[in-house]
Amino acid sequence: MTFHQWLELAIAFGILLMLTLLFRLGLAWLGLLKGLGFAAFTFFIIALFAFDLVTAIVAALRLLTIGTVFFLFFQTTSPEALSNALIKMGTPYPFVFVLTTSMQFVHVLIRRVISIRDAQRARGIPIEGGLRALWYLPALAGPLLIQAFQLADELAEAMEARGFGAPGRRFRYEPHLMLLDWAIITVSIAALVIVVLL
Amino acid sequence: MILHFEKVSYRYPGVDAWALHELDLTFHPDQSVLVAGASGSGKSTLCRASVGLVPHFHQGQLMGRILLDGLDTRQHPVYQLFHHAGLVFQNPDAQLFSHTVEAELAYGLESLGLSPFDIEERLAWVKKMLGLGSLTKRSPHTLSGGEKQRVALGAILTLRPRILLLDEPFTHLDPEGAEQLRTTLRLIRSEGIVLIIVEHRLHEIITDVDRLVVLHQGEKRIDGSPHQVLSGDISIYGLNPPPLVRLFHALGWGKTPFTVDEALWEIKANHFSPQTLFSFPEQNSILVRSHPSTLDRIVEAEDLWYHYKDCSVLRGVHLNLYRGECVALIGRNGAGKTTLVKHLNGLLKPHRGSLKILGQDIRKTSVSKLARHVGFAWQNPNDQLFRTTVREEVLTGPRVLRAYNPRWCNRLFERLGLGPLLDRSPFSLSEGQKKRVSFAAALAPQPELIIFDEPTAGQDEPFRRELTELIHELQGEGRTVVLVTHDLEFAAQHATRWLILAEGQMIADGSPNTVMANPAAMAKAGLRPTQRFQLIHALKERSKE
Repeated sequence: MTFHQWLELAIAFGILLMLTLLFRLGLAWLGLLKGLGFAAFTFFIIALFAFDLVTAIVAALRLLTIGTVFFLFFQTTSPEALSNALIKMGTPYPFVFVLTTSMQFVHVLIRRVISIRDAQRARGIPIEGGLRALWYLPALAGPLLIQAFQLADELAEAMEARGFGAPGRRFRYEPHLMLLDWAIITVSIAALVIVVLL
Repeated sequence: MILHFEKVSYRYPGVDAWALHELDLTFHPDQSVLVAGASGSGKSTLCRASVGLVPHFHQGQLMGRILLDGLDTRQHPVYQLFHHAGLVFQNPDAQLFSHTVEAELAYGLESLGLSPFDIEERLAWVKKMLGLGSLTKRSPHTLSGGEKQRVALGAILTLRPRILLLDEPFTHLDPEGAEQLRTTLRLIRSEGIVLIIVEHRLHEIITDVDRLVVLHQGEKRIDGSPHQVLSGDISIYGLNPPPLVRLFHALGWGKTPFTVDEALWEIKANHFSPQTLFSFPEQNSILVRSHPSTLDRIVEAEDLWYHYKDCSVLRGVHLNLYRGECVALIGRNGAGKTTLVKHLNGLLKPHRGSLKILGQDIRKTSVSKLARHVGFAWQNPNDQLFRTTVREEVLTGPRVLRAYNPRWCNRLFERLGLGPLLDRSPFSLSEGQKKRVSFAAALAPQPELIIFDEPTAGQDEPFRRELTELIHELQGEGRTVVLVTHDLEFAAQHATRWLILAEGQMIADGSPNTVMANPAAMAKAGLRPTQRFQLIHALKERSKE
């Protein structure tokens, strides 16, 4: 079965929404919807004019479903758990480290964006909206990129100073698969098989 | 001998100048050493070289020999050296990379390959020593600046290095945070760990060190006990002596007291006249003359309230600023200082209360319109640099605001020493030069009100002197200057009025001496009067007895 019908997609989306509410992530999801909703609406309008109503609904629902799946995954999985799982699966440590650490630095960079935006607005550069803002995009992107590179450089140095490259690293917690993990793996595989067979 | 530099010269890749030049320096166990020097003196390079990051991480050309705990750093990679000497970097954000404080503390121990049992034991030790117990489950990015620094310190301490190096650890701390750090460092020292503190703000730590080394242009210029070194002139190396040493020097009293008690003792023992001190002016005569006109109010704020995430950051703030005055806005980190000054050009709008800048209601005036009248020089100049040349960078603001005055801008370039740098990329400049560019950018539209956010943080003595002159000139032109600062010595010298903010409320407003004489307000804001004020107060009390 492929998701070409709006009904199946709507059911999947409904299940995801129920899970979102179950995990008490309703408010956070509404926050996500500000951006995702706009993208889904744009998809809907483009598909509506280019194709037809059903295609437009399916396109918008697909985007909402994918967005919500990722939202649920990252909201319910700590970077630590993700990194442990990836290491357990045999992914090389430096790769896992880069992936999970970059997630940590999203907050730091958001703070930087706010400071840069304030600094530029304070000297009259119109970066808050309108077409002129596009012309001044480098005023936001330039300092942000430079600072991101600088941060990465300083971070690499700090990691090195705490033995990042040392051979024989031992982890504080050795993650083990529990009964619950096995149960969820079994249910997920079963669900996947059923969906593919149908 | 625990760390030994033998004729060490080093330069970074692609740079002609030597960051360290023929440096001979030995650190011994049971010593606390302060390594001081102006920007570009080689202080940070010395730290990096001590732990092997120079040359292994930075590459470049290294000559001579560095021995750490008997290990030649050139022969051993950083991961074989990092538990011998630990380095706490200046920027806490860039050294905390784990998901929780506990994971952060454990990272180095995992690198060492310790058993889970040993890791837990070390974690318990460091948590107790630094009081990190309540933070362990939190994510580092949610912590305050002082807490982040404690975690960064803890992450190195868990390794139980024999030497602990700290690169400008006081830069981002408020006075209370600085006091807490001093207490922590004393505790660390009592564990037998050698402390090497790299700092140009000598007064922050001078009483706690046994030795002072002055670096200049990568070379060791003076080395000795703090009193010995400070009896000479260190200002030629771009360093600012501790306040009481400076005061005694200005009065012609040839002693070097670091604390108020030492100063009292010296005055008594040497029969110095307290009257000379009482009549010695603290502020520059230009400042004393430039009393603002109380009629010419340029900022009127009444009952300002501002909320952020269910928390009241400003709670009924009243504020008046007058033309031509220099005001210091003081308070601990998180007291609402930045929130308040962001209201002054409309970056933030109050949730309650009224605010008028030059008679204009900020609720009805756009940020770009206010930017013409209110200039901001932010703490981090890197937040604004994006043009290809210094000239373009400075002129972007006035051009957008249609306030470009070539004569004024040329004067600014000359005044801030930017003339030779105008065609250079702002990114290629030193941090001090970038700061000058950001000052020029803030002043270019000829604002009536200029706000300097932590202008002295991380800056050396030559920069402070230039800033002093600039502030006086701006005041002379009838511009109002607001200093947002933790640097009370600087604020006492240059501001005619202090505004103390604590928990979102303005708890004191008056001359520096009036405010410092208000112990309740000072304590509430986590501040202590300047040493000069304390000394005069103690002498006056003593004369009454």
